[in-house]
Amino acid sequence: MGNQFLEVKDLEVVYTQNKKMVHAVNGVSFSLGKGKTLGIVGETGAGKTTISKAIMRILPDVGARITNGEIYLNGESVLDKSEEEMLDVRGKVVSMIFQDPMTALNPLMTVGDQILEVIELHNDCDKKEAVKLAGDMLEMVGIPRVRYKEYPHQFSGGMKQRVVIAMALACNPELLLADEPTTALDVTVQAQVLGLIRDLREKYDTALILITHDLGVVAQTCDEVAVIYAGQIVEYGTKEDLFDHPTHPYTLGLFGSLPGMAEGEKRLHSIVGLPPDPTNLPEGCKFWPRCPHMTEACKGEIPVKHLSETHYYRCLKDRNPDGTFEDQTKPGGNENG
Amino acid sequence: MGEHVPLLEVKNVKKYFKVSSGWNHAVDDVSFTLERGRTIGVVGESGCGKSTLGRIICRLLDATDGQVLLNGEDITHAKGAKLKKIHEKIQIVFQDPYSSLNPRLRIESTVMEPLKNSHRFTSAKAMNEEANKIMELVGIDERLRQSYPHELDGGRRQRVGIARALALNPDVIVCDEPVSALDVSVQAQILNLLMDLQEKMGSAYIFVTHDLGVVRHIANDIMVMYLGQAVEIAPTEVLFKRTLHPYTKALFSAIPSTNIHEPMQRIQLKGEITNPINPKPGCVRADKSSCSRCPSPAAASPPAASTPRKPASSRRCWKRWNRTTSCSAAAIKRSTIEKGREKRLWNWFMTRANTAF
Repeated sequence: MGNQFLEVKDLEVVYTQNKKMVHAVNGVSFSLGKGKTLGIVGETGAGKTTISKAIMRILPDVGARITNGEIYLNGESVLDKSEEEMLDVRGKVVSMIFQDPMTALNPLMTVGDQILEVIELHNDCDKKEAVKLAGDMLEMVGIPRVRYKEYPHQFSGGMKQRVVIAMALACNPELLLADEPTTALDVTVQAQVLGLIRDLREKYDTALILITHDLGVVAQTCDEVAVIYAGQIVEYGTKEDLFDHPTHPYTLGLFGSLPGMAEGEKRLHSIVGLPPDPTNLPEGCKFWPRCPHMTEACKGEIPVKHLSETHYYRCLKDRNPDGTFEDQTKPGGNENG
Repeated sequence: MGEHVPLLEVKNVKKYFKVSSGWNHAVDDVSFTLERGRTIGVVGESGCGKSTLGRIICRLLDATDGQVLLNGEDITHAKGAKLKKIHEKIQIVFQDPYSSLNPRLRIESTVMEPLKNSHRFTSAKAMNEEANKIMELVGIDERLRQSYPHELDGGRRQRVGIARALALNPDVIVCDEPVSALDVSVQAQILNLLMDLQEKMGSAYIFVTHDLGVVRHIANDIMVMYLGQAVEIAPTEVLFKRTLHPYTKALFSAIPSTNIHEPMQRIQLKGEITNPINPKPGCVRADKSSCSRCPSPAAASPPAASTPRKPASSRRCWKRWNRTTSCSAAAIKRSTIEKGREKRLWNWFMTRANTAF
């Protein structure tokens, strides 16, 4: 800690919706070193996107509020910056790849000009140089320079996502936030885009936060993984920690829900019930209504338990060395709901 | 009697759509059979014609050519009352549980709609009881039965879609990506539900999806589609052990594995799926230097997938499988889009780094 590139401390974000409070993020802390990749995994509505938007400071002005917490980038507090100062940060220090490439591009501008816009905003170079640079960016993501003057509708989904990546990387950001960058794409195209992100990250030593709900994508790309449920990190660890020793019942449930992994298994170990309503979160552990190991005590204060320096989880139960829990039931062994 | 009649037989079905630049070959000569209580998974990238195929089978679209036989009876051109009877036997679960339910009907009415139309029930009470039984079966809580679709979340809505499809106890259910709009934990619940129901009711499923993990879990047989053609059909275990068609290989290698200790051997396809408008005759992957296995480019049609080469598996490709060829990492490269519209459609290049397949 201390000299990490990005530090998020006790972040809490609340949306107001129809006079109801939606607790989207409830005390999330993590840090990320330069050139490292963090995967944030969770289901719809878990608060993954909200975290990345808070780091970029692009939460909607009306309705969203950061009620608590601090975010430090290179030791500087992001939340204390003025809007004007943020303009210099966005695109230059932190940039974001959005989930849906179809809507992230301006349909009325050529793709080249959209990349040019970012470069001109942040670099002091004349137009000619900037145009050349924009062309270089296109080539770097595998789009021929001749297509500079084409419009987004002339590109396919994967190509559009490449353009978005080129835009995000145009000014060599130190941190890249990729919000489900491949969810809208086919598997073969997904493989290309992930490969591209990985290559570019290695080349420029960019730190990357990859938000996804696909554990396979995480396994192939990330160094560290945070599993998030109802706005809380329920388990955090290196990729090896998490994939070899998943501990929190929710993480185990996620692995059990993956089809096609366990051979010979007739039924998936699904998690019963549904993700909680963020306007009305349960007391104590947010997962207890769906948890197979639930006890009365789960409705109280939940400690964070450290298994190793890098690996922690948020649960009352201790894990036995053989992978079972205190109450001797097999983890994740929950019947279909 | 004597001869065994499969539940559903699809014979050389074609569907061409007219577009401004010619004919879009959405489904091009697909054949397969499906037995009672079995599941066939149809996989492929978006735009490969898998949904169109599903819709032809349940007669939401008319085939351009070919036949669909249900219990030996040709249903391809059925009309009127006969078509209504067929709809009772073949039902569909749609991909998007948000747009496939009528927002102005209560859940109960939605499930009762097919029962009403079947005229099987003489009294409203009997119909109501039947609807309740079905909703109980798929796990729709009693308190939700009078609510409207907007009050339900995705997983529950998909249950309503399934209940509606099951209402008449059909022989075949076409599941058109029923879980892709759902979260993993809910997806697992729905998959389990579908499998339980199959055991109870004995329906056969045609499971259209792009998620290979899902088909591996649920399907007995898998058909891989590419540009409207079935490039490979095989039992699930066989296909996952050994893929024969180069496209299947590439597709399978693209799935990100959750095994972190095994580095992925990825065969990366370049570019995107080509456009199936006005294809040239021949293998869908054939072009000058395209597929390394092709004897002469675009010369003739590849052997049809329906002629099994060996009993277990069939595929649409020229080159005979040679057991002695060692399989090493291969790079299949699809052409990046070339200049000119004409060229762009069918320019495929597949160069290999090594001997493969």
